[in-house]
Amino acid sequence: MKVILPDQGIRVMEHCPGTVGALLHEIGANPLEVIVSRNGKLVPEEATIGRDDEIRIIRIAHGG
Amino acid sequence: MEPHAVPGESPVCACCAEPAVVYQPVIRRYLCGTHLVRDVEERVRTTILETGQIHAGDRVAVGLSGGKDSTALLVILSRLLPTLPGASFVAITVDEGIAGYRADTMRAAKSLTQRLGVDHRIVTFRALIGDDLDTLLIGRETHACTICGILRKKALADAARAAGATSIATGHNLDDEAQSVLMNAFRGDLPRLVRTTGTGTSETFLPRIKPLMAIPEKEIASYLFVQDLFSVLPECPYTKYALRAEVRALLSDYECHHPGTMQHLIESKKTIEQYCAGTPVMEPLHRCRECGDPCSGDLCQVCRLRHSLGK
Ligand SMILES: [Zn+2]
Ligand SMILES: [Zn+2]
Ligand SMILES: [Zn+2]
Repeated sequence: MKVILPDQGIRVMEHCPGTVGALLHEIGANPLEVIVSRNGKLVPEEATIGRDDEIRIIRIAHGG
Repeated sequence: MEPHAVPGESPVCACCAEPAVVYQPVIRRYLCGTHLVRDVEERVRTTILETGQIHAGDRVAVGLSGGKDSTALLVILSRLLPTLPGASFVAITVDEGIAGYRADTMRAAKSLTQRLGVDHRIVTFRALIGDDLDTLLIGRETHACTICGILRKKALADAARAAGATSIATGHNLDDEAQSVLMNAFRGDLPRLVRTTGTGTSETFLPRIKPLMAIPEKEIASYLFVQDLFSVLPECPYTKYALRAEVRALLSDYECHHPGTMQHLIESKKTIEQYCAGTPVMEPLHRCRECGDPCSGDLCQVCRLRHSLGK
């Protein structure tokens, strides 16, 4: 599973946390301050993650 | 057991069974992209109608920073325009002069207004006070948001008046509103909540409206993302000095563990407003002795700031 972090850094994870929410918890991101896409499509925290998925975590910049 | 969430399967929309893109924890509902867009636009329309924010014949100046909130605001208002007879919009972007931040958002604002066919005006701090914000803030960085806020409000109001606007709309969302309640409480200034909601008593004082005030920040970002309108833009370099940034982190954390907290803060504000209804909470309005703008004291905030900056 490939994770694109808010700072554009890429992390390849050997184990799969199961859901988007579990992944966010693991990397210490507040779900309210990010949106997450799975293979390009926006997904909620309860969405499942598979081994071959590409997950992108996008920070919601404050303001604007 | 949460609605529509089956362990091991991704949740689906409560309206159509398409894959969900967001979860609304307060009402325990999943929505797909199509239904999220519809729901957000409908809630904004309801806010506008219920609070009487836009009337027939209004010319609304939309503060467009180019960031997500104001982008969503302009997109939504453009779509709601056919349901707002006689109303028109003008977008106003304030260029504070912040290196490494403004160029991208300015480009975004220009291309958006072109695409939507909305009249666009740009005003600069340099024209207003003679310098870029970056220059004005040298040695005063910790007061960045206060100084910028006072000047931005003035620049926006002047430009709105010059464009013939009858009101000013800003992109403040539910999170912003909840943060403001908490910040006022922390500062020991809850009455300010009620004071600042006055819609103005002077002909030179344009009413300010917040059509997105019922929409959570995350839903605004999601609304843009599912329509390919979300861009990753730089964050203002001065936010790290703001009390708001701390309050935002604290409140998101709390909301995450106790969904509905932000809504409760806003309800408290409404309750205070109801208690105060009919009581004169607006301070008597004076005119600034230097610029003539309406203000609560002898000198307005902008003129006081001018003095302290030596401008
Ligand atoms: Zn915000
Ligand atoms: Zn749906
Ligand atoms: Zn003044």
